[in-house]
Amino acid sequence: MVKKSKKQKMKDEKLAKHPFNLLKSLIPTKLTRNHIYIIIVALIVAAFATVPSFIDVDTSYFAYFLFLCFLYIVIAQGWNVVAGYAGQISLCQNTFFGLGAYTTALLWLLDVTKTGYYFDPVLMVLSGLVPAILAIIIGIPLLSRLRGDYFAIGTLGVQFSVTVLFLKGGAFTKGADGLHLPSTVFQSMTPYYWTGFLLALFAIAVVYFINRSRIGLALKAIREDETAAASRGVHILKYKVFAFAVGAFLAGIGGSLFAYYLFHINPDSVMHLNWLFFPILMCVLGGNGTIIGPIIGAFFLAAISSFGDVYFAQMHPIFSGLLIILVMKFMPTGIIGLKDRIFSRR
Amino acid sequence: MANQLLEVKGIDVFYGDAQALWDVSIHVEEGAIIALVGANGAGKSTLLKAISGLIHARKGEILLSGKSLSNLNPREIVDRGVIHVPEGRRLFSTLTVLENLKLGAYVPRARSMFAESLERVFSLFPALNTRIDQKAGSLSGGEQQMLAIGRGIMAQPKLLMLDEPSLGLSPILVKTMFELISALNEQKTTILLVEQNIRQALKIAHQAYVLKTGEIAMSGRGDELLANEEIRKAYIGERVSKR
Amino acid sequence: MGEFGIIAQVLVNGILFGTMYGIAAIGLSLIYGTMRIIFFAQGAIIVFFAYICYWFFALLGLDPYLSLILIIPISLLLGMGFYFGLFKEAAALEDKNISLLIAIGLMWLVENFMAVVWSGDPRTVVTAYTSWVLRPGGLNISFTRLMALLIALLSSVGVFVFLKRTLIGTAVRAASEDMESTTLMGINPNWVNAVTFAIGIGLAGTAGVGLATVYSFDPTYGFTFVIMSVIALAFGGMGNVFGALLGGIILGVLQGLGAYFVSPTWADAICFGAFLLVLMFRPQGLFGKKE
Repeated sequence: MVKKSKKQKMKDEKLAKHPFNLLKSLIPTKLTRNHIYIIIVALIVAAFATVPSFIDVDTSYFAYFLFLCFLYIVIAQGWNVVAGYAGQISLCQNTFFGLGAYTTALLWLLDVTKTGYYFDPVLMVLSGLVPAILAIIIGIPLLSRLRGDYFAIGTLGVQFSVTVLFLKGGAFTKGADGLHLPSTVFQSMTPYYWTGFLLALFAIAVVYFINRSRIGLALKAIREDETAAASRGVHILKYKVFAFAVGAFLAGIGGSLFAYYLFHINPDSVMHLNWLFFPILMCVLGGNGTIIGPIIGAFFLAAISSFGDVYFAQMHPIFSGLLIILVMKFMPTGIIGLKDRIFSRR
Repeated sequence: MANQLLEVKGIDVFYGDAQALWDVSIHVEEGAIIALVGANGAGKSTLLKAISGLIHARKGEILLSGKSLSNLNPREIVDRGVIHVPEGRRLFSTLTVLENLKLGAYVPRARSMFAESLERVFSLFPALNTRIDQKAGSLSGGEQQMLAIGRGIMAQPKLLMLDEPSLGLSPILVKTMFELISALNEQKTTILLVEQNIRQALKIAHQAYVLKTGEIAMSGRGDELLANEEIRKAYIGERVSKR
Repeated sequence: MGEFGIIAQVLVNGILFGTMYGIAAIGLSLIYGTMRIIFFAQGAIIVFFAYICYWFFALLGLDPYLSLILIIPISLLLGMGFYFGLFKEAAALEDKNISLLIAIGLMWLVENFMAVVWSGDPRTVVTAYTSWVLRPGGLNISFTRLMALLIALLSSVGVFVFLKRTLIGTAVRAASEDMESTTLMGINPNWVNAVTFAIGIGLAGTAGVGLATVYSFDPTYGFTFVIMSVIALAFGGMGNVFGALLGGIILGVLQGLGAYFVSPTWADAICFGAFLLVLMFRPQGLFGKKE
């Protein structure tokens, strides 16, 4: 029987008097809270979808900014799944990103799918699958034996090894110079916008469904208290590897998108540590383990990036490091957490 | 009107969002043995943690000789002589017996009385003296429990809180343990005893409280509660004597 | 000199350099003991102090070994400052990932700060004696490497004595085992953490001086170094000062032999492979206490 102390009852009363909740109670009962959320989400999606009709996507810096946001959302959600939901610090997200980019580039150059040089969904899915499979292969031994910090080190090792492999890949990966892709087919920014948009939606949907499913519950249980979860019969390894693989998949398709944009793929551009930092930073800023947190973080970071590209190109990583420290120190739950804290206190 | 050494007044304690204690009040008379009994998970350890400052009570007050402990950190509470010997002994197994005892007397107030405290501990627990340089992890269960209590004594306690000292001990050792607790009390140490071994605890207690799912269900003198029907049925389990 | 002589040389060099990994590993072990995180920024901070040592020499003409007199107190104070400034609140939280992320953030911050302020060019300290070589029995032992070994040994002994013979050191050992129980003794966990952290950074400062005199370094070297230190720690095991030192030496030897018998780039991979093996099959390390 749930017993509410007097204090809890008083809190509930106070919450009910909060303006937001009063507003909600004004809405006719046929429209439930869920309906409201769906409407809001639909509106936002529609808004983004109509942007290209208002702005000349090719020349607008805003469109580029949005594209960046979309890319960032994808990789941020990747980190969100593995670290925010499953609580594992994976320090090879940039490796997965790079693998995705290389897969796209290689398959493209080899013209495997015979679609010519254009956005190819099959290619993109494959670019996500390759890192995901790698994640499963190394994830099983690593996650079954290594706890927390040591797992992080293990992933660092993966990062090392793979980067070295690609540098020394010889004719296959063309070493440090990397692969060059023909850029002549892409004249317009519009397909980038749309593909980015769709991928971002996909990434968000993935997280949304994980959040709502049993997998999400299991992951949260593992993150809170692994031993307790294990004693309840949660198959720890299975869920951790799953989260790791999903994180890899998302990073991979992010890499694929980036490959279509960059055309010159080499270890420095696609396996750069930034592709590890940024997702972490975004989730940390926005709120790890939430659906919207990484999205907020992504917009923030895209804004800073664009701003920074102009003024602080070199200072970038310093700011990232400083930001992470400050955010973790003062608001470890991110912006979302801040909102929660404001609304649940007196 | 005897002196109230410790007064807990209507505290609520939460672990995150889950409430563990509801409006709990107890009084600990100076020089007495107060027992806190109840089933597993009733909240007994939580109450001790609230008193020793490991957790903060969200509501209510905790007073030591009339002065509030509520906003103090564990160090300051230890400084005032409230010593918590936790459940499961929690010794430093890689440290020697002597090192464990030394750490027990860490706070300056206790450090100045180190030699005397050590003597007291050895007179109560002679076995520890012979094992003084042994690693705590290598001691037997009973010796470990003695060391845990000894470590608490090193802090010159005004109020000694023992969390399940008889746990995991053989019946003979359990008897010894309770005799020891009585002896400590005779040396003028006030004791707050948390126990699952309700019978033994109620036998030596002056006052007792029964904690049930986070609330005080019953309280009274030790011998009264021991004779109480409900308690006997629920916790002690009446055995039909076949003698 | 013959094959054997060369191998002996490789071994000796490996041992001498491995002690640097060793004292970094001791620092990591201490910090892990109390704060339960791998302090990733250790390598970057070692390089930072290598730079300090370098600049002390280049700008003030201060001999590297003499600069230890300044660097040790500075690093100890910096360690305390780092703890109280950055980690204090996070250390109290259940979720250790937050502290871990702060450490990673600090690593990026320091590393890139150095890259921006001091440029990416490799540096090393070159004094009158950096090219001295002692030649016992046909082996070449560089003077600076020997000094680095000496510094490492002295540091290890110092830490050992601190842990075993002082009351605070005993409190640190206790806290590494059971922080809550330590708190119940009236010991302030923040002070224990801060002291441990300070020593960890102090050891980093010492390693930095060693590094500056022996190797050429650049801002990115810190990353490699911390990984190696973690591997050394895994070899040696937690909770044992001299074990960590030995772990470093073993690693140094392994790296040297790997470079000699296979190739320098593969040497790192070999070390990493050994690391994974140890983690999987003997997670407490060769000398560590079981968890």
